[in-house]
Amino acid sequence: MSKLKLIIAREYMSMVGRKSFIIMTILIPILMIACVLLPIGIGYLNREGSDVETVAVIDQTGRYGSALTDTDLYHFMPLRGDTVADPHKFYAQADGQLAAVVVIPHDIDSVHQLTIYSDKTINASLKMSLGRQLSDTITRAHVASYGVPNLQQMIDESSVNVDVKSVKWTDDGTETETSTEIAMGIGFVLAFLIYMFVLMYGAMIMNGVIEEKTNRIVEVIVSSCKPFELMMGKIIGVALVGLTQLAIWTVVMLALSAVAGSTLGLAMGDTFAMSNDPAALQAALAEGGNADMSGIVQAILGVNYLQIFLAFIFYFIGGYLLYAALFAAFGSAVDQANDASQFTTPIIIIMIISLYAGMACVENPNGPMALWCSMIPFTSPIVMMVRLPFDVPLWQLALSIILLFGTAALMVWIASRIYRIGILLYGKKTSYRDLIGWLRR
Amino acid sequence: MDNYIEIRDVVKQYDGHLALDHVSMDVPRGCIYGLLGPNGAGKTSLIRIINRITHQDSGTVKLDGRAITDDDVVHIGYLPEERGLYKKMKVGDQIVYLARLKGMDKATATAEMQQWLERFDLGEWRDKKLEALSKGMQQKVQFIATVIHRPQLLIFDEPFSGFDPVNADQLKAEILRLKQEGSTVLFSTHNMESVEAICERITLINHSRVVLDGNVDDIRQQHKQGILAVDLSPGQQLQPCDALYTILPTSGSGRETQVRLQAGVSMHDAIAWLNDHCALTGFHEILPSMHDIFVNTVKDQDHEQA
Repeated sequence: MSKLKLIIAREYMSMVGRKSFIIMTILIPILMIACVLLPIGIGYLNREGSDVETVAVIDQTGRYGSALTDTDLYHFMPLRGDTVADPHKFYAQADGQLAAVVVIPHDIDSVHQLTIYSDKTINASLKMSLGRQLSDTITRAHVASYGVPNLQQMIDESSVNVDVKSVKWTDDGTETETSTEIAMGIGFVLAFLIYMFVLMYGAMIMNGVIEEKTNRIVEVIVSSCKPFELMMGKIIGVALVGLTQLAIWTVVMLALSAVAGSTLGLAMGDTFAMSNDPAALQAALAEGGNADMSGIVQAILGVNYLQIFLAFIFYFIGGYLLYAALFAAFGSAVDQANDASQFTTPIIIIMIISLYAGMACVENPNGPMALWCSMIPFTSPIVMMVRLPFDVPLWQLALSIILLFGTAALMVWIASRIYRIGILLYGKKTSYRDLIGWLRR
Repeated sequence: MDNYIEIRDVVKQYDGHLALDHVSMDVPRGCIYGLLGPNGAGKTSLIRIINRITHQDSGTVKLDGRAITDDDVVHIGYLPEERGLYKKMKVGDQIVYLARLKGMDKATATAEMQQWLERFDLGEWRDKKLEALSKGMQQKVQFIATVIHRPQLLIFDEPFSGFDPVNADQLKAEILRLKQEGSTVLFSTHNMESVEAICERITLINHSRVVLDGNVDDIRQQHKQGILAVDLSPGQQLQPCDALYTILPTSGSGRETQVRLQAGVSMHDAIAWLNDHCALTGFHEILPSMHDIFVNTVKDQDHEQA
């Protein structure tokens, strides 16, 4: 076995065997699911847990207050405007029984403004609910004031909500229904995976290099092999650990979706079996939830998975190599992890910028920023993954990948120059200028 | 003589600092050779060049008669001064890994590892992580990892530091055994007692240059300062004789008195005179210790430079 293979094998085994690998493999998907579910859960708890509060509505018009309907959180108590002279006094006298006092001014028809008073911060949902309900009521009142018979009905009937359906032509002209939202979601999840892996595994490489240096084993190892072999062995070994983790998640996800798919299919079959009337079944299929369902399924199938998957593998490897080499070089230049922050902070800033650039590119996936950020090798792995569902021209994709791999190769070369000197140097605080000096040596 | 290492005019420079200035050194095959010098003299730089960790700017290094190449690292076992192993790796796996990096196949490396661990009473620690071992045991593991691939050349940088006397003796015995089996041993140390005890030849480096080299016994002979230790019968006093010697202040107790012979006086003449005039019961010549030679040579040179 070659020395490089030996080193790769050692790095791989030493990481996969660790408890932290097993824990992270289980924990990360749970965290990601939690990130999605948590806001929903919090929203639910927010509504469930709290009591309904009373809001006094002082209606100086005498027309609109009673039209308010209670929400999940608030009960509206309409009062005639002439019964309350001083809203503050009224609120104080209620002695905490009231969440807020709303004043609907007599001239709201022309000024379109009302005020909420409270000694607490006004909840955004209360503002939204009041605004929406009163806008609607006053609009209807205005429409009615024109005295045209059935005008409201005419307006309602003529109001249209356009549903945009996107169809993508494949090369032979057949139509596939696509969903930009789904493609975007997939692109973004993959971009985020690259972001997470580069930072997580990059830091692992750096810590591994620092560990070998502080352990002083590095001198023993480089008396047996070239520093370049040790560095590449570590980078490749850690990459294989990352790919193993990805493979585990993919297999688990496929297995879960297969299980979910078959139980869902069974459940559907049961519903169909129960309804004996074939006409009712067809009607249900035509307009019911199942029609939406089949649309989504078709849209999911319409995404060009092969292209996205291939691009993901390329950008994953290229982006990882680029940053891993940097992390290895920086790790070799310091004596302990604490000293590394002057070098790692710029990397993290660049990574965060590319994540934000990726998010911004969703708005304008073919704009100049999207184009440049998907060409610059330091941001392209993330930004291009987000852009990819929006039909990036092939030449751009090819150019971006060539640039990425070219820069990654250059970075590995630079890193190896720094690494071979850094690992044998102790007790000296290294600056960027030193690193450039080492390149020339 | 058959030299295993031949170093000629090696120069190495770091950032404007000259670490090795035309250093030449011949290490005979099967010899235990001492590379001496104060800290920062250039010993580690020279060792790293022999180990192919760094490369000389100019000059040649020959191993076994040929210019050294990267493939020669399999013939070298290196124990650096700063010891280091993977703390989280099992003892046995670690030794086998390092042996395989030196080109051994897995089966042989595993068998050898087992034998070595048993020889050092570490058999039961094979599947323990290194960090579970005491410092002395870790040193032994590192020694095994250095010699397991039966290198023809062993390079030890301060091998006895960190060993207690019992383990140091065991280590010394192992080094002598490896020499018997034909290995050439290069020692880098400032522990002069161990130099006198086991090194046959030395090179002393100071300020990046070779200032002294040769056979340890010859060097001590060359540096002798005509000091004689004289034993007299109890109660007897040494008679002064300024023409032949001066009496040195007695150090410590005992009947032994040391004298320094005057320049040009042979030991033979001095002893003949002493035998006639005093009740002489014994005598021996005092050779300077390597420690004194080291200190004096380095001091003289520093003085010249200042």
